[in-house]
Order: sequence, then C-alpha cells, then structure tokens
Amino acid sequence: MMLWFQLRNELWKLFGKQRTYIGSSMFFLAQSIGILIFQFGQGPYRQLVADIRQLGVDPEHFVTNLTVASFLLVPIVYFLLPLYVSLVGGDLVAKEAEDGTLRMILCRPISRLRLLALKWLAGAVFSLVLVISLGIFSALVASAFFPSGGLFVVLPLDQIVGTFEGAAAWERFAIVHFFMTFEAVTLMSLAFMFSCFNVKPAAATILAISVFFISMILHDMPYFRDMREWFMVHHLYVWTHFFRPHIPWWRVGESLSILAGYNLTFIIIGCAAFQRRDIKS
Amino acid sequence: MIELRNVSKLFGDREAVRALTMTVPAGEIFGLLGHNGAGKSTAIGMMLGQVWPSEGEVRVCGFDVTHQRQRALEKVGAIFETPVFYDYLSGWRNLEIFSHYTAPTSRERLLEVIEWVGLTGRETSKVKTYSHGMRARLALAQALLPRPNLLILDEPGDGLDPEGIHEMRQTILRLRAEMGLTILLSSHLLSEVEQLCTRIAVMNQGRKVFEGPMTAIRQSHNLALLRVNDFSAAVKLLREKALVVDERDGKFVALAPEAKTEQVVRCLVQNDFAVHEITPQEQDLEAFYLSLMKDNR
Repeated sequence: MMLWFQLRNELWKLFGKQRTYIGSSMFFLAQSIGILIFQFGQGPYRQLVADIRQLGVDPEHFVTNLTVASFLLVPIVYFLLPLYVSLVGGDLVAKEAEDGTLRMILCRPISRLRLLALKWLAGAVFSLVLVISLGIFSALVASAFFPSGGLFVVLPLDQIVGTFEGAAAWERFAIVHFFMTFEAVTLMSLAFMFSCFNVKPAAATILAISVFFISMILHDMPYFRDMREWFMVHHLYVWTHFFRPHIPWWRVGESLSILAGYNLTFIIIGCAAFQRRDIKS
Repeated sequence: MIELRNVSKLFGDREAVRALTMTVPAGEIFGLLGHNGAGKSTAIGMMLGQVWPSEGEVRVCGFDVTHQRQRALEKVGAIFETPVFYDYLSGWRNLEIFSHYTAPTSRERLLEVIEWVGLTGRETSKVKTYSHGMRARLALAQALLPRPNLLILDEPGDGLDPEGIHEMRQTILRLRAEMGLTILLSSHLLSEVEQLCTRIAVMNQGRKVFEGPMTAIRQSHNLALLRVNDFSAAVKLLREKALVVDERDGKFVALAPEAKTEQVVRCLVQNDFAVHEITPQEQDLEAFYLSLMKDNR
C-alpha cells in the first residue's frame, strides 16, 4: 500500500510538470504535420503509391490509415523517441537534486534504493504511456484522412517488407507499439543512470543521447555489419521484428533478454553511484 | 537526541568537518553557529544521512544514521534555508508527497498541521503562488507531519523580513512549549540564537571551538559598569589591588576572576572615591562570538 502511495506521488510529480509534455507535444505535432503532408502534398503520396506498386501490391488497398501512421512512426521512433525519453529519464534524479527537493526528500526515513526504484518505475510508466498514446494518436489522426484497410510496411535497413490485412494489420500495429516500450524504457534507464550521478539534468540527457547515437552510427556503418548484434540499438529495435510476415520469436526473446540485462546494468550502476553520493545544497 | 562522536568529513582534499564531537540533549533549543563554510551544513547533512561521514559516528534518536538511517529519522523533521517544493503542485499535494516518504498520513492530520501553521484556505493553491513566508510555513508543516521529536532548522531565517523573523521566533518557542520538541537551529542571526537557544556550539573551519549553555556565555566575563568621580584613578587603584584586569570605553572594568563587586566598592570607598554606580554586565552573544573567532583565527 505504501509503495502504491509513493509511486502515485512520483507519477504526480512527473505528470504534473509541463516539461514532461514537451516530448509528447512534439510527437503529436510531427505526426500531424506528416499526415497532413501525405494528404495534401502530392509528392509523398505519389511516392508511397509508387513504392507499393513496385512491390507488386495493390496501392488502393494499402494506402491506409495504418500504413501512413506506420511510415511516420519509424523516423519518429528512430530519432525523437530517444530524445524525449532521455529528457525525462535525465530529469528523474538530477532535476530534483538541482532544484533542492531531493534534499527535502532525503530528510525522510526512505532508503535511497527505494527512492530510486520508485523513480525508475515512474519513468517506466511514463515510457509506456508515451509510446501507447503515440500509437493511438497517430492512428486517430491518420484515420481522419485515410481509409481503413491493410498495413504496408517497408524498412530497408532491416530488409523488412510486410503486408497485413484486416484484424492482423491492427494487431501488428498494436504489438509493435507495445514492444517499442522496451526501447523507450531502456533509453530512459540509460538517462536515469546518468541522472543518478552528480550531474546537471541536461548533462544526463545529453550523455544518454550521445551513447544512443554513437551506438546507432556504428551499428549502421557497412563495415561493422558483422558486429551489429553487439550494439545496443540492434536490440532496441526489437519491435521491427513484428513487421515481418513471420515473427522470429527466438530473436525477439534474445533481444528482450539483452535489453533486460542492459536495464539491470544501468539501474545497478545508477544505484551504486547514488548510494555513494553526498547530497548537499 | 543527537550525538556526534569524532566525526570528520573530507570532500576530496578539503576537510569540511574535523573531529567533531557534539551532543544535543533532549528538550534543548540548540544553536549551531559559524560563518559560511564553517561546516554547519555538512554536520547537519551527516545528521540527516545525506552526507556520509569519512570518520566517526553520528547517532540521532539513539540510532546510528549511517547504518540505521530509516529508524534514526522516523521522528525527525527538517527545514532548510530556502524551502523548495514542487511549485506546479498545490500545497496540499506537496504535503502528501513529503509525508508519504515517512508513513501514510491521514487527511485529518494534514488539516491539523495546516491549521497549526496558519495556511488554512491556501492549501489548495499552487505553491508557485505562495509568498516566501507561506513557503516557510509549508516547510514547517511538512516537517511537523510525522509528529517529530527532533526538529532540525538549517538557516530558517534566511530571506525573511523582520516580521517573518519575528514570526519564526515565536513559532520556534511555540513548538517547544506546545510539543516539547528538541530543536537544532543553525543560523547566522546571532540575536535570534541568543533569544531562542538554551545551548550553543560554535564551529570554525570545520572544528568545534565552543559548546556550552547560553548562561555560561552571558556570565563568561566579569565585566561591570563603573561610575565614579575619577574613572582613570579608580582603575589604577583597582589594578594595583588586583581586583581589576582591564578597562573598556572609560566606563567598564573587567574584574579579576575571583573579584566581587562589593570588594571593589569597599576598596574605592575606603580610598575616598565617590561611587555612583557599579553594575555587573552580561556578555552578549555577538561579543562572545567575535572574540571566539578572533581567538581561533
């Protein structure tokens, strides 16, 4: 019961401040602009139709709300999601330390480990809410301009081409979003780890984003192709497997296990650093 | 209530606190004095388990803060120099958040404390709309919620106007009178400490240079106001008789340690001086503090 009260308090703090919504607002803005360009700008729409036709698929059936939402989703998740979850993860501890509220909290008989556990859980809830609301919003906005129908996805870097129809299309769209949460939570954990050190919130965010982008750059270099599985981003993109016609469950399991390991490592390092720290004004 | 035994704290090569031994007995209003960087906040940080001592032992309410922090802080409230809250949330929500780090707190208890500190009617407003004084009251409310036995106040008067300082002083006295709290007060405001505290410790460059009751400070020097027909001649005579060791401002004499005012009067009268007045003076804290700092420079 006490844990619930304390977690609820962390959620109040997190969802009560405007800063938390910067990311969500930008997501929704980016998606809305993208969908409007697809609808009213002839170029992107024609390109989409051409791509679908080139793969021998009927464009009439696949230029749909889910296809457009998914096309916009991929770049947003590649670039914006890491940025915004890092922003929130980097704030979790460092912002409280900077503002002085951490000192007020640590007058209380709560262990530092419990406090960090609560903060991490609140960050995980935020990540889940962000990704799910992102999916719901994109589907809703796209539905206002495009008809329902199948789902067509092409991810050239991952050599994925998928077409899904009817309930399967919605199912895949939902599952992809659920598994994107693992990417969001892992990046949040990375920023959270840096946030536990004696650094400014912006520094924690920048460090996390830097690690992510360095990992992404190395992962996508042709010369490092054989080593791709060693990079964190390779496993962060576990959700892309659900756009494949046949889901490679063993690879999904492998990536999820590795992500769990990353999360645990980030949490342990963060806790160790925070436990040793002196909290001063 | 608080015991520090030979506590030291190093930040890198800098020794912020050196071999500090100090006891805050239950029921006292204990003043912790010292200039900026003297080590007061570090000492308080160690009492609250926010700063880990490099050496020594810190016990609060009978428990070792390093190893039994949760039990040590169960009945402790604290307020810092600048009360910081989640400005975007209401006062009520802030109190709920802070109190739940100790234990579940009932709505009745929240209302009771809000009324005690005089915030009734403003508890649902966002903290960003509060004045400095209201924030100070909210800080007091959050400190009182767990029904503490010990209250630690780190520079509580900072940033308050004279009215606010007066209110703070009255509140501290009320806390002691109505709740019987032990209070540790760290402050730069010597007059406040003088008016409130029953015992003080003075820190300088990380070391404790004095600890004792306020009464001892007031009586720590043997100064007396002396009004006679010829002050200089009187002082000369009293020095010869080893009754006086010093004089100040042409009207005060520092009596020798064993000398009494009646001995001084008798000596002067026997030597045909007209004695109009002799009044023992109490030393104020400021004079004591400054002399202490001078001696330990």
